[in-house]
Amino acid sequence: MATEVDRRVVASARSPLSGWFIASGVVLIVSLLAAFFVQARQQALLQQAVQGQDDYLVLNLFQFETEYLRLRERWRQAAADPTTAREQLQLRYDIFISRIGLLQTERAQRVLSDSPEYGSAQRAIRDFVDRSDLYLGQSAQAPFSSASLKALLADLEALDAPVHQMLLAGAHRVALQVASRSDTIAQHNRVGLALTVFLSAMVGLFGYLALRRMRQLDDSRRALEAMANHLNDAREQALRASQAKSEFLTNMSHAIRTPFHGMLGMLALLRESRLDARQQELLRTAVDSADHLLGLLNDIVDLSKLEAGTLTLDERDVELEPLLREVERMMRASADAKALQLSLTIDPALPLRARVDGARLRQVLTNLVANAIRFTHHGSVKLAARVVPAAAGSGPRLQLVVSDTGVGMSAETAARLFERSHLPVRGGARDPMQQGSGLGLEVAHRLVRLMQGDITVESTLGQGSVFRVALPLQTGGEPAAAVAAPVAPPVPEPTRARHVLVAEDNAVNRLFLAALLDRMGHSAHFVENGLEALQAVQEHHFDIVLMDVHMPVMDGIAATEAIRQLNFSAPLPIVALTADAYADTRTRCLAAGMDDVLVKPLGLPELEGLFQRRFGAASPPGEAARAAQTIGAGVALLDPKVLARLIELMPRAEAARLYESLLTQAGDATERMRRALRDADTDELRRVSHGLKGAALNLGLHALADAAGRLSASASSTSASQLALALQRFDETLVATRALCATEPELLTTPGAA
Amino acid sequence: MSAAASQARRRALVCLVGAALPWRARAQALQAPAGTVVLSIGGRIQRANQGERAALDMPMLEALAQRSFTTKTPWFKEPRKFTGPLLRDVLNLVGAQGAMLRIAALNDYRIDVPVDDTRRFDVVLARMIDDKAITVREKGPLFMIYPFDSDATLRNPLYYSRSVWQLKSIDVL
Repeated sequence: MATEVDRRVVASARSPLSGWFIASGVVLIVSLLAAFFVQARQQALLQQAVQGQDDYLVLNLFQFETEYLRLRERWRQAAADPTTAREQLQLRYDIFISRIGLLQTERAQRVLSDSPEYGSAQRAIRDFVDRSDLYLGQSAQAPFSSASLKALLADLEALDAPVHQMLLAGAHRVALQVASRSDTIAQHNRVGLALTVFLSAMVGLFGYLALRRMRQLDDSRRALEAMANHLNDAREQALRASQAKSEFLTNMSHAIRTPFHGMLGMLALLRESRLDARQQELLRTAVDSADHLLGLLNDIVDLSKLEAGTLTLDERDVELEPLLREVERMMRASADAKALQLSLTIDPALPLRARVDGARLRQVLTNLVANAIRFTHHGSVKLAARVVPAAAGSGPRLQLVVSDTGVGMSAETAARLFERSHLPVRGGARDPMQQGSGLGLEVAHRLVRLMQGDITVESTLGQGSVFRVALPLQTGGEPAAAVAAPVAPPVPEPTRARHVLVAEDNAVNRLFLAALLDRMGHSAHFVENGLEALQAVQEHHFDIVLMDVHMPVMDGIAATEAIRQLNFSAPLPIVALTADAYADTRTRCLAAGMDDVLVKPLGLPELEGLFQRRFGAASPPGEAARAAQTIGAGVALLDPKVLARLIELMPRAEAARLYESLLTQAGDATERMRRALRDADTDELRRVSHGLKGAALNLGLHALADAAGRLSASASSTSASQLALALQRFDETLVATRALCATEPELLTTPGAA
Repeated sequence: MSAAASQARRRALVCLVGAALPWRARAQALQAPAGTVVLSIGGRIQRANQGERAALDMPMLEALAQRSFTTKTPWFKEPRKFTGPLLRDVLNLVGAQGAMLRIAALNDYRIDVPVDDTRRFDVVLARMIDDKAITVREKGPLFMIYPFDSDATLRNPLYYSRSVWQLKSIDVL
């Protein structure tokens, strides 16, 4: 369709029609000029005829003959009867003479001069007048006798023939002239007529060509319109299709995530069961792949929300440094796995808090650092945060720089890095797992844009890349504990067994939650939808309800609203379980009367944190407590007395370095212990944890030492799952310790950590 | 010319003549000609001196305001100077009330001229050519002449034919 139209448009543009058009126009103009010329000639001829008074010449000749005849009559009467009044004769004579002059005009001369009749008549008339004037002239010389009257009458009568001949000659001459002029006019008329016919034909042709041209233009206009409509339709169709696909993708991602979370939970439980080395290895690969897949799904959901514009930022006052340290902590394992140095540098001028969406900022930084680690094979990955002072046209900005010494990329790749269609191929990486989907970068880019910021990349092939995120820096306002909370994990308390109602439609998730709650020593009652939950709370007493938001029959929000209408006398906390961590979901849950929102995937720490928040240390001691969970209870992270002693012994900078190296060592140790646990190498686990315990004690890091001690003590005696949990505690304690050390004023001489 | 237009014109003429007459024409009757009668005017006139007609001699015409112009004509090779009263003054003198003038010449040439011509153009009843009285031989004694040179629309056979020489009589229709 489109090509056909194109051809037609092109054809009409090149058509010889326009040539014909011009040619016929020229011919038309020429014929018009010719017609004008002919008409001008006719006008001139007519003018000539009018001025020449041709017709009047003949009339004059006739009148002359009439006057002649009247004079002759009068003269005969006078001759016959001399008594008649002479005045009458005189008048006739004078009139006759006045007529002679008219025969001698220029025009008369021209027409008649070569006519012999004219010449002889003129001579005869002149002779007669000459003779008559003797008696009848103005100065008459002789009396007019009867005899002379009679004699002159004979002369007068002799004029009969010449006068008549002259009349006939003149009439014939004029008739001839009129005929010849008529011929000329007729000829001109014929030419004019021919020209008119030709002109009409040309006008017809011209009109036809113009009409055809117009019709062609009309056709091509219609064709273009049709094409435009067609394209418009196609565009709308494509848009609709794209929208439908986006929706499908979003729906599918959501749908996949739910069973997937269950699968992840099962994998986590499986990891804690007794597995041989081969099974551990297989499990690790499965977990890695699952993590990767979950990341992809999250990216897709985020992207579709970003595209649809439904993603809203949950901006609160967030403590920046713990957030950055958490990113570092989260990424350390993968950096360590590739033997890369991961460092965090924080500008001392960085404000304590800033107004950002902490979760989203963490997502951006994690994406960028993960990306850097993925494309760096040796060297280092650095994360740095600084404040760019307010400049003209913009306020102060928070700049976050992720630089690596990786494979880098070419300028073209860098230029198209944030585009969807572009899968970055860097340094010849072919393994899709290693290469990444590129979605993470796009998500990061769009998120930063949503935060009114910008993200730029600088890279040299083979020498590494630098990603710079610049965000408007807003400080002040109320501090928010929500994001800072995970950085300093609550030290778990021994917990009393609680009666928990779990409303969850997904069987795998139910199984997973059952395992978790069982491990925590709580008793759980399961229902599969909101309506059952509503019935259950009326039949039994529960300490807390865990409510999935999306359920068949009655969803979590409706169920919560219904439960709140029952107006129980005792408080019943209801906690939402949802897969989306977005502000709007959270708001809806809280508005419905829920007390808290937990985001899937849920792990033991999250659940424990929840119970800690809900029931806290107020729980009576002596309840079913578990050795693995009692790490560091009531134990100080950093003993200020030990620190003070140390600072007395050595310069403050050196003390800080000491703490730094221990924390680095502890980070390494975590990885080593993880590997040992995975490989079921309890000796290694004990060795490492024991060594660390001693070092930590020396520096007054009691909580860390405690956690390490528990690992060391139970290395060979407890189950792998309990060891994993203890290791998790250790790791969290390490993060908390690191955060504390970073903010400890006595150790602030060297900002930042290893 | 439409009937309505000619009627309007006639009415205008009546007004004009009617306004001029009461103190001049009615009070003074047209004097009788003392010399040779050169022009006889009849038809719808208000003042006569010979029965129904007004007979005018040269001194009577000479007594009216004289007008002179020089123009080329088909009857003379050179431009000639024509002198005499305006035809409309002559018509006023006799209280002419018609719309058409039937003009006759000595040789019985006859033509109808609309009175309107005398208002639109300064038509002169010439009694002198080049300051000399006109003889009959020279197309006199009266020569009705249009100012051909001053108006191009006059230079066509219609007005040439209305330019009557050897003028003898006028009948107001």
